[in-house]
Amino acid sequence: MSTALAPATTAAVALRQVTKTHPHGVRALDDVTVEVPRGSFLAVMGPSGSGKSTLLQVAAGLDTPTSGEVLLDGTAIGGLDETRRTELRRDRIGFVFQAYNLLPALTVAENITLPLRLAGKSLDRAWVQYLVDRVGLGDRLDHRPAELSGGQQQRAAIARALVARPAVVFADEPTGALDLHSAAEVLDLLRDLVDDLGQTVVLVTHDPAAAARAHRALVMADGRVVDTLDHPAAADLAGRLVALREG
Amino acid sequence: MFALALRLARTRLTASLAVLVAVLGGAAIVTGTGVLAESGLRSHLPVDRLAGAEVVVSADQTVQPSADLAVALPERGSVPAALADELAQLPGVQSVVPDVSFPAAVLDPAGDVVATTDPVTAGHGWSSVGLLDDPAVTGTPPTGPREVAVDTEMAAAAGVAPGDPVRVVLAGRTSDARVTAVVPAGAGVLVADDRAAQLAGQAGTVDLIGLQVDGDAEAVADAVGPLLPAGTIVSTGDARGDVALPEAAAARSLLVVLAGSLMGVPLLIVGFVVAGALAVSIGGQRRELALLRAVGTTPRQLRRLVAGQATVVAAVALVPGIAVGYLLAGQFRRLLVHVGVLPDALPLTVGPLPALAAAALLLGVVQVAARGAAWRTSREPVTQLLADSRTGPRTPSPGRHRAGLLLIAAAVPLSVPPLLVQSPIGAASTSLAGIVAAIGLALAGPLLLRRVTGGLARRLPAGTSAPAWLAVANLHGYALRSAGAVTTLAMAVVVALTYTFAQTTVIDATAEQTRAGTVADATITAPGLGGIPAGLVDDVQAVPGVEAVAPVSSTTVLWPMRLLGEEELSAGPALVLPPAGAGVLDLDVRDGDLADLTGATVAVGSGAAGARDVGVGDQVQLTLGDGAAVEARVVAVYGRELGFGSVVLSADLAAGHTTGGLADSLLVRTDGDPATDRALAGLTDRPGVTVSGGGVAGDRPAAPPEVWINLAVIGVLLGYLLLGIANALVAATAQRRGEIATLRLTGTTPRQVRTMMRREAALVSGAAVAAGVLVSAVPLALLGLGFLDRPWPSGPGWLLPATALVVIGIAFLAIELPTRSALRSPPADALASQG
Ligand SMILES: Nc1ncnc2c1ncn2[C@@H]1O[C@H](COP(=O)(O)OP(=O)(O)O)[C@@H](O)[C@H]1O
Ligand SMILES: [Mg+2]
Repeated sequence: MSTALAPATTAAVALRQVTKTHPHGVRALDDVTVEVPRGSFLAVMGPSGSGKSTLLQVAAGLDTPTSGEVLLDGTAIGGLDETRRTELRRDRIGFVFQAYNLLPALTVAENITLPLRLAGKSLDRAWVQYLVDRVGLGDRLDHRPAELSGGQQQRAAIARALVARPAVVFADEPTGALDLHSAAEVLDLLRDLVDDLGQTVVLVTHDPAAAARAHRALVMADGRVVDTLDHPAAADLAGRLVALREG
Repeated sequence: MFALALRLARTRLTASLAVLVAVLGGAAIVTGTGVLAESGLRSHLPVDRLAGAEVVVSADQTVQPSADLAVALPERGSVPAALADELAQLPGVQSVVPDVSFPAAVLDPAGDVVATTDPVTAGHGWSSVGLLDDPAVTGTPPTGPREVAVDTEMAAAAGVAPGDPVRVVLAGRTSDARVTAVVPAGAGVLVADDRAAQLAGQAGTVDLIGLQVDGDAEAVADAVGPLLPAGTIVSTGDARGDVALPEAAAARSLLVVLAGSLMGVPLLIVGFVVAGALAVSIGGQRRELALLRAVGTTPRQLRRLVAGQATVVAAVALVPGIAVGYLLAGQFRRLLVHVGVLPDALPLTVGPLPALAAAALLLGVVQVAARGAAWRTSREPVTQLLADSRTGPRTPSPGRHRAGLLLIAAAVPLSVPPLLVQSPIGAASTSLAGIVAAIGLALAGPLLLRRVTGGLARRLPAGTSAPAWLAVANLHGYALRSAGAVTTLAMAVVVALTYTFAQTTVIDATAEQTRAGTVADATITAPGLGGIPAGLVDDVQAVPGVEAVAPVSSTTVLWPMRLLGEEELSAGPALVLPPAGAGVLDLDVRDGDLADLTGATVAVGSGAAGARDVGVGDQVQLTLGDGAAVEARVVAVYGRELGFGSVVLSADLAAGHTTGGLADSLLVRTDGDPATDRALAGLTDRPGVTVSGGGVAGDRPAAPPEVWINLAVIGVLLGYLLLGIANALVAATAQRRGEIATLRLTGTTPRQVRTMMRREAALVSGAAVAAGVLVSAVPLALLGLGFLDRPWPSGPGWLLPATALVVIGIAFLAIELPTRSALRSPPADALASQG
């Protein structure tokens, strides 16, 4: 299935025969091979416990695989220590999680520019301004996260994920805690970023409607990729998921 | 609700542990103090010498002010001797034993004094054997002036048996006598009854009357009651122990005073530590509590739940805490005995009352503190809570800020007493003022910190490293949380500085006044003889080169004062001085003349005189140490009140009102010629006489005992406070796992996280030391001005640096260790376990 993807050198992220066994012997990833081409929007779907988050964390270098190889922008990240992996994440990867994305003590602007500050990089004001305008928070920069709605917080998190111009943005159920309207806004924003900026995005979700915005969707079950759909339609995806649950 | 409370308590282990330790230590301190207080009220000295008399009639050795606790008098009072005959008529009374006492000592064949527990009252009349439990007498009663009986201990030490000659010193006079009998241990030195009355200098009065009764002692005591004149009491059972030794019994009441003075500051600190631990613990559960509210828990139920949970933890801690408290009281008693303010014979009363009081008090504090900490969470709208609990910092409330500033302001008038009253009581208000200001700081802290860190954040240079910038941003953003750490550490600084310096300043100021006020250069004492023997003054006077000599004693005086319209009665030390005292002591006389101390006269300290608005020539009403009410004319007002006490009695006025009647010491001023010193040293040839260089007025210690005791208390208290602070800080840092995980996911390296936390620790401890010093500055400056005429206190120079080091060390450890532990788990896991 994955052999059909573009060559490894052009992939933003690639997992090769990755297996991840958690303590207590749970095999969360079982010989998974995935390549995410640059500029593509990949959705990862599957029932709860199927290994989606594990896939994302291993791909992002947050966790190390038990076996197999992870390449980021063509560089193998296995064998890097925690500090090097953190620096790599800071420079090359953006994250958006379901919650706890923002530091409550910092303002929106400070949160968004934090990765640059941590990396000791200078601020590209025009870029930051572009991002905050894109996510629609231009008038909220001095607010603290507590003063934002859930959707606004996630949009701020997306701006922060992009500020260091990462190779990939990983999002793990970023709309899981949002109402339908806000969720749609956030998902549309992600898709627009892919279209407008050529940003690579990997989105973990169990919402077929969300996955339908992606270029490609992987369906996982029991730690394996059991299906791949290009330009998926929500109805198709929903059908696969139901089939998985019943099977 | 209970099971839920228990489960919640379990899930927050570090925070629960902090509460546990706070309550445990608090229970120990309260129980310990309670045991001391109960002992002061109910403990009795062993009955010992009076065990054979079931009922004892004696002078009432207490003065009962209208409202306050009774004040115990240390000098032996007396009862009319004629009362004995009357009491003998009562049904059930088998025999009546009047008893008097006088200073007595036995010399061994080498001419050295045989040590006894209380030589001042060792001498008695022969009939006092009737007071003994076991009247096993070997020999015959002494008769005439040249016969004595001695107790077995003295006989063994002096190596004498009935029939042997022995040298004795009775009421200060040395004489040769023959031992006619050996009596049971503790009976002392006995002479014929008429001679005893002579030696005691008492005509028509006795110290006490013992009754041997048939059958029920209580019934006899009841019958005795109506016959007694005013100021006389009847005792039975254990209470007789107090009657035997008024001085020791008076020392017992020190325990009450002590427990009372101990209660204030430690209770404040216990409340502070327990409330701090609970605030951290409940703060860490805001998410759970918000969820509980969301599923329909009412505000009241929520507060009940939180209080219930805290009570479970507190109940677990109370048992060991109370046990430790009883042990602590025992240690404390040993210290008091060691310092010499408590007779070794006095046991502690170990009852359930202190434990119950500690349990009630601590549970009360826990309930109030827990409900207070949960108040806001319980009242806010649920939506607000859920948003808050995910995103953290709350804004400090302005009401709290204003209350804090008010308390800080209130500390200023509280710091003033040292300017008005140069006494340990005046100095005590220094630490109280400091602690009140520190509590104010705890309240005003969040907003103050928010402003300071806000200013700091704006002024950070452009090149500031990300961790340092984050540290400032965290302190600013989490002002409530950070201020909790800063202000508790500041409290430790304040307690250490104000409490310790208050004591050391009193010690140094007292020592300085005593030194400056003593122009004598030698002190002669004879403790083994029960006081300065007769004739020694003249002999010293006769030594060539001696310019002045005066016998000096210390006693206790009650000088009532109207305070806020109420009569205040507290016993204070007083010197007894003859007119010659002016030659050996320089009390810094402001008005009048010490040489006029003849007849019913006193000299008074300027502070005490000012407070009562009296001056030279005025008459004052005093109660002497044996309870006698006297009126005396003020002949001098002096300044060195701290070094020498507020009242100086003329020797004439005190005569007959001190136990034993002999002077404590002779102060001698010489021409400074070494030959004179040698001649004085020659006086030590005399049995029991010691000569030491320099002058010490009476047997006054260098500083009042409560000062030393306070220094010991501060050790316990600081240890408790620091432990509580460290625990709360560890718990608060452990609660930052989620925040640390978010930082790491944003690209913060572990090293940057550690650096950030260390910067925070540095800022927190730095701010704590600065705030602590600032808050202590006013009370300590006023203390210095009051006692030393300079705006800073006196004490060890290492105290401030040592305190700062400890505070910084605790902040670093309590922040570093949980941070390391948080960094060990993968950040994604930490977040997953959060939400
Ligand atoms: N830290 C862990 N320790 C043990 N098992 C884990 C851990 N994290 C995940 N798992 C297990 O791995 C499997 C996959 O989990 P996950 O990747 O979180 O699934 P998904 O995100 O698809 O719901 C599950 O069975 C889960 O229980
Ligand atoms: Mg998941």
